[in-house]
Amino acid sequence: MNFDLSKKTLREVNSYLQNIDLKSNQRDFVIKNPLGNHALCAGLQDEIKVTIKGHVGYYCAGMNKKAEVTIEGNVGTGVAENMMSGLVHVKGNASQSAGATGQGGTLVIDGDASSRCGISMKGINIIVKGSVGHMSAFMAQSGNLVILGDADEYLGDSIYEAKIYCLGKVKSLGADCIEKEMNDKEIKHLSALLEAQNIKADPKKFKRYGSARSLYNFKIDNVSSY
Amino acid sequence: MKHLLNQKKTIPILKNIQDIDLVGYGKSIEIFKQVGNPKDVVKKFSLDKFSGSHAIGHTRMATESAITTDGSHPYSTGEDECLVHNGSLSNHNNLRRSLIKDGIEFKSQNDTEVAAGYISNSLKNKTSLKETLTNGLKDLDGFYTFITGTQKGFAVLRDEIACKPAVIAETKDYVAIASEFQAMAHLPDVNKADIYEPKPGIVYSWGS
Repeated sequence: MNFDLSKKTLREVNSYLQNIDLKSNQRDFVIKNPLGNHALCAGLQDEIKVTIKGHVGYYCAGMNKKAEVTIEGNVGTGVAENMMSGLVHVKGNASQSAGATGQGGTLVIDGDASSRCGISMKGINIIVKGSVGHMSAFMAQSGNLVILGDADEYLGDSIYEAKIYCLGKVKSLGADCIEKEMNDKEIKHLSALLEAQNIKADPKKFKRYGSARSLYNFKIDNVSSY
Repeated sequence: MKHLLNQKKTIPILKNIQDIDLVGYGKSIEIFKQVGNPKDVVKKFSLDKFSGSHAIGHTRMATESAITTDGSHPYSTGEDECLVHNGSLSNHNNLRRSLIKDGIEFKSQNDTEVAAGYISNSLKNKTSLKETLTNGLKDLDGFYTFITGTQKGFAVLRDEIACKPAVIAETKDYVAIASEFQAMAHLPDVNKADIYEPKPGIVYSWGS
């Protein structure tokens, strides 16, 4: 089923996709002329496939549950923010805060993601085939951020228990983020993440980063500071 | 309010006519501002009849000064210069005082006008636009995306934290910069353009 956003309103398209009649067999949708609209495909909650042909605005596929959304273009700020499950695949570049606070599911970005990719992520898997901007994985709590390109400054600043794997160069690490051992268990874990998206990359060549756990744990030595 | 005036002629006229506000001067850049719906403002000034090498449009959500024509962007504090700004500067009062000492004149309490004055002051000393904006990274405290135009070209700069958005589309025929893609979704061939986000703290400039 096709929607044309130059003919239908954003509200009409979103409302249709958010309230799928499960008695019908219609599960595949194409959206043409997205024209940079915001919040397109936000709040989808059924197992449907949506392909967006063109560039979209902010918060595309935010809060996604179960749906598979493919964007054949670039996305604005906060793609797949607070995603719960499902798959969001961006074929172009992503703007800031991609996958912010995502709790589950997978976000794949074929191009680059800019600043604060995976900020406060809480369980989502984010795979960026290009590079990520500064302060990516800021305060990331859990989940995996896999970067096949490079990372800009302050990667993983104030990170909790999310895992970062980076194949390229890291300009600098943020506070309390350190390089960690890439042991067999980690290689296996990363292999599974890459294979799930048919990505051919050698997991042994990645470096892993995570929390030094000195910032978010209470230390009795610091008691006088509080 | 069309102002395409030579500076030498402008000053005596202004002294005699108190009801005129000068929004800019020079030989090639024209500035139009008004409070109202952008559609009406565009119609009133017949912007569709204009041609040129570069143009900047700006609508403002007022934070640092009132919703008035005076508080509207672009700000121009030098010949054929203009600046629009998304963001807010925190050290504009101190900077305004020091720029006044250098002979820069201000007409409003607006923070963006101070940034425009800062740029004029630097360009006056033969510093390039690119170098001026690079120096601005340490002198202008706050958060911002700036677009500045001169007779020769234009430049864009985001502060190093980069919480204010910007997107650039480049084709072989034009360069477009906007806060978000939606603003340029109707440009010709934009879907074939190279679209990217300017990196924080890096000056991107064209023709300047």
